[in-house]
Amino acid sequence: MTSKIINMAEKLKDAEDRLLESMFQSEQIADDGFSHRVVTHVRRRLWIQRLALPVAMLIGGAIAIKPITQLVIAASKLLTVVPQSVRDVPMDWIPQMQSVAFGATLTQTVVLGAMLLAAGVLGMRMLVE
Amino acid sequence: MAFHGAWAIIQAATPLEGEDQYLVTLAVASQDTTAFGELIRRHQSQVRNFLRKLAADPSEADDLAQEAFLHAWDKLQTYSGRGSFIGWLLKVAYTTFLQSKRKSKRYAEVLDEAGYVAQLESRSYTQNSDEVSDLDKLLAVLTQEERAVMVMSYACGLSHREIGEATGLPVGTVKSVIFRGKEKIRKSFDIKDHQHG
Repeated sequence: MTSKIINMAEKLKDAEDRLLESMFQSEQIADDGFSHRVVTHVRRRLWIQRLALPVAMLIGGAIAIKPITQLVIAASKLLTVVPQSVRDVPMDWIPQMQSVAFGATLTQTVVLGAMLLAAGVLGMRMLVE
Repeated sequence: MAFHGAWAIIQAATPLEGEDQYLVTLAVASQDTTAFGELIRRHQSQVRNFLRKLAADPSEADDLAQEAFLHAWDKLQTYSGRGSFIGWLLKVAYTTFLQSKRKSKRYAEVLDEAGYVAQLESRSYTQNSDEVSDLDKLLAVLTQEERAVMVMSYACGLSHREIGEATGLPVGTVKSVIFRGKEKIRKSFDIKDHQHG
C-alpha cells in the first residue's frame, strides 16, 4: 500500500518535471552495427574460454611429458636401490581403507587416483578462474 | 480452484516469448548470443544516450557502452528479473563509467607524478562553445552524481527505487539528489521564465 502511494506520488509530475523531461529527451541512436560488434566480441570471448582449457592442457602435457618420463624412470631405478625391508612395509598406513575388502595394492591405487583427481580438479578450476 | 490460482501465478511468473526476461533466460541458460544481441538492439540507444550525457565525448561513451554490454554478458545471471532490465543495464553502465573514471584519474595522477601535464582530467564536461547545446549547459552545472541521477530519472524514466538500485543510493538520497539538481538548474537557468516564454 505504502509503495503504491509512493509510486503515485512519483507519477504526479508537475510542469517543471515535464519541462525537464523534454530537455533531457534525446533522439534515438541508430544501431549502425553496434550490437553486431558487441555480439562478435562476446562470441570471440566464448570461443577463447572454450579453447583455453584444452589448449592449456595440451601445452602443459607437452611441457610435462619429458620430465614426467624421466621421473618415472628414475623412480623405477630407485625401487631397485630401496632395501627389501623398506619395500615390505605393511600397507596399513591408509586407515580408513583397511576395512574394505580390496587388496593393499588396489587400495593404494584408488587413494592415489582420488588424490590425483582432486589435484586435477583443483588445477582445472584454477585454470578456468 | 486452488489449482487454477496456482496456475495463474505460474503463468504470470513465466516470462513471455519476446520479453526481456525471456531473452535473458535464453542467453543465460544456453549461452545464446542471438538473444543477447536482440537485448542489445533493444536497449543500445538508451544506454549510449545515458553514457553520452555522462562522458561528454560520444566516441568515448560508445566505447564505454560496448564495455558495459560485455560486463552485462558476464553478469547476466545476476539479473533477478525483479526490476526492469534497462534499470539493471544502466546500473552496469554506470559502474563501468565510474571504473573508467577512476582508471583515467589514476592515469592522470601517474602522469602528474612523472611531470607531465595531465590533460585527461582537464577534459571536463565542456565542449567547443559553438557545439554546446542547452542540455550540455544544463548538465554542466551538475555534479557527476547529480548528472547520473537526473539523466536516469528524466531521460531514461527510471523510478526512484530503480535509480537507487542502479546507483547504490538509498531512495531518500535519490530524491534529495534530484531536488538539489533541480534547484541548481532552476537557479542557473531560471526555469520558470523559460517555461512561460
